[in-house]
Amino acid sequence: MKGIDRFAEKFFWVAAVLSLSVTVLIFGFMVILGLPLFKGGQFFEILSKPWLPDRGIFGIYPMIVGTLSIALLGLGFAFPLCLGCSVFISVLGPKRLGRILKKTVQSMTGIPTVVYGFVGIFLLVPVIREVFESGSGMCILSASLLLAILISPTMILFFSDSFDQVPKPFLDAVDALGGNNAQKILYVILPYSWRGVLTGLILALGRAMGDTMIALMVAGNAVALPDSVLDSARTLTAHIALIIASDFESLEFKTLFACGIILYLFTTVIALLVRSIDSKSWRRK
Amino acid sequence: MMDRVLEKVVTGFSWICATVLLGTVFSIVGYLLVNGLGTINVTIIFGETDPVDALLFRKQVFDGLFPAMVGTFALVALSVSFAVPIGIAAGIYMAEYCRGGLKRIFSLVFDVLAGIPSIVVGLFGFSVAIFLHNYFYSRIYPCLLISALSLAFLVLPYLIRTTQVSLENLPENIRQTAPALGATKLQNIFYVLIPRSLSGIASGVILSIGRCAEDTAVIMLTGAVTMVGVPKSVFSNYEALPFYIYYISSQYSDKQELLSGYGAAIILLVICGLLFMMAFFIKNRLTYHALYRQ
Amino acid sequence: MDNEIKIKIDGLSFFYNEHRILNNITAGFPENTITAIVGPSGKGKTTFLMTLNRLWESISQARIEGEVEIRFGDRFHKIYDSSYPLSQLRRLVGMVFQVPNPLPMSIYKNVAFPLKLTGVKDKNMISGKVETALKRAFLWEEVKDRLTDNAFSLSGGQQQRLCIARALILEPEILLLDEPTSSLDASAGAVIEELMLSLKDRCTLLIVSHYLDQVKRIADTSMELSDGKLHEYPNS
Repeated sequence: MKGIDRFAEKFFWVAAVLSLSVTVLIFGFMVILGLPLFKGGQFFEILSKPWLPDRGIFGIYPMIVGTLSIALLGLGFAFPLCLGCSVFISVLGPKRLGRILKKTVQSMTGIPTVVYGFVGIFLLVPVIREVFESGSGMCILSASLLLAILISPTMILFFSDSFDQVPKPFLDAVDALGGNNAQKILYVILPYSWRGVLTGLILALGRAMGDTMIALMVAGNAVALPDSVLDSARTLTAHIALIIASDFESLEFKTLFACGIILYLFTTVIALLVRSIDSKSWRRK
Repeated sequence: MMDRVLEKVVTGFSWICATVLLGTVFSIVGYLLVNGLGTINVTIIFGETDPVDALLFRKQVFDGLFPAMVGTFALVALSVSFAVPIGIAAGIYMAEYCRGGLKRIFSLVFDVLAGIPSIVVGLFGFSVAIFLHNYFYSRIYPCLLISALSLAFLVLPYLIRTTQVSLENLPENIRQTAPALGATKLQNIFYVLIPRSLSGIASGVILSIGRCAEDTAVIMLTGAVTMVGVPKSVFSNYEALPFYIYYISSQYSDKQELLSGYGAAIILLVICGLLFMMAFFIKNRLTYHALYRQ
Repeated sequence: MDNEIKIKIDGLSFFYNEHRILNNITAGFPENTITAIVGPSGKGKTTFLMTLNRLWESISQARIEGEVEIRFGDRFHKIYDSSYPLSQLRRLVGMVFQVPNPLPMSIYKNVAFPLKLTGVKDKNMISGKVETALKRAFLWEEVKDRLTDNAFSLSGGQQQRLCIARALILEPEILLLDEPTSSLDASAGAVIEELMLSLKDRCTLLIVSHYLDQVKRIADTSMELSDGKLHEYPNS
């Protein structure tokens, strides 16, 4: 191999290794900087305690609850919406309307989360406040609604791509046997593309749990454990943004690394889950 | 009959979903435009300062969005110039040189990198800055450089993935043509494969630009602030549009400031919208140029 | 003996993007016969078949003129009338495609699928009908011990017979077959030909074929579709 070939291959390889190192380094940094937490055996305690800085208790349990409730509720709103929209785009809607919807959804992927947060504060929060007549309107419900809109475009495109990949002979067979569109969707399209749907769902969950700005701007950021969807809550991500201003050496600050580690581990689990769904593809003819 | 009822229900549901989604996105964009379009003028960007002076950096702008726009521009330019060479190179490695178990490990790691929440990347950037400050170079603080590096980490996986997928999707016969004529692997990559995948790679680059422009979580931990004007060097603090929007939403002191927030949101939307359309456009045009122009 | 006419076509024209594919066709097809449609490739034979079960309607730039009537029971029904339910039409007019298209399910579920579409729930009835359909399609002996296997584990010829069984389970009165043996080898094709002859007593079959020797072997009448028009094709 000529010299330049060898050099180029090395260069590409170095770039890949560099990227891999960064990923590992991010985790490593957080573990090292959060080491005091592990040493005292406090890490697992922190996961289950509330956040009461005046009493010297720096538990992030309320933030874990906040992250899970906002993300899962948002997903709960988004999933049926996305199924309906992607079915509209790929199967049921008139072709031209379907294309318009798809183009709109593609454009939506470019809307920054901070813009959703901004509009949420001034448009959604007052409405929630009026309709439910309790609290300030900055609550789990508001954040989940906005989050649902944030994660929908990617999910819709994912689902719709999966539906489009159903081989046409299957659709022809259902048509020729007198099946209607609903039957086509329920008996052939959905069973065939369940892997794509599940993958899209899991990726959306990851995105929902990792979002910062919507929760930070609209969920209220209270540290108390939320009782209902109309309560204010704080997510792990918002917590990092809020506590970053405190003293770097303090225990308070170190809990941020605990948040980071949890979020990172969660990301890894999601990546592994998605991978395992893919690898189980059946053998076809 | 049951199936006719089911058909009606399913069809009705999908129409409702489509309407809800379209209604929501048009409400959001419409709300911004209605409230903020009127504020878009030279003043909102340049404040009291003369535009020409501001553009030539002769005078500072104190009450306009210009510093934030410059900050965002500088940030994006820096982070993309870090990320693109490494991302594309790593993507080439994944598609052309990496195989088997090693490839699966790299793939998994890059999937994880792609999923890391942006605030965690910001936390990492912040910690690195403090670490360097304490142990190496006491003049390092969270700054433009740190933000740009952190954003580069954020978009790296997108670049790797789009490059890898574009290359891997090339049909087998295209891959075999040049080697059959005696070309080396590297020559094949540069003269045939990359030009063919240029559209995919380019759209990946442009989408990364959009991602850098819109991110708030990373930059708010690594050096974005308000009211410092145009960044003086890569080691200084800076302003950025997304951070300004966040800041104004909770700290606005009068109607005028709030309106500037709307204006900033519209400008940011337009920038990201233009980038998105450019990605789409380039994807189509570059294919033409790479294949047909000499 | 002359059989009664089962399908009546009057002034049928088919347009795709305003190109005239079928040109003012008037014809009648007798009951319980096999009619072969031959002619040059790509000139509308498949399209013609699809006008009889309205399967072309999912194509957006296509339209039709003229009348198609099919006799179900004791009277003719205009099948393009908006009052005639589409799903019912397709249960009485079955279709078999050129390339076998089993659904991604087991052999049993494939054949039972049309029953699922019509809402039949009785498990005993379903298994009885599945066995009958597979026997009519000359496939029962080969698959009776592996009904839960994936349909794609069958050979090409077996898959086609599976698709025929699936089309037969609702006991259609007309069967449309679009080049049913062209993706199969000679021996698999021969089985299908024998099968089609056996179905004549309860079905009216229309077959598109470009194997003229096949046509000679099994068709009662042949028609040639050329220039959008149907002519009698001498079958000596």
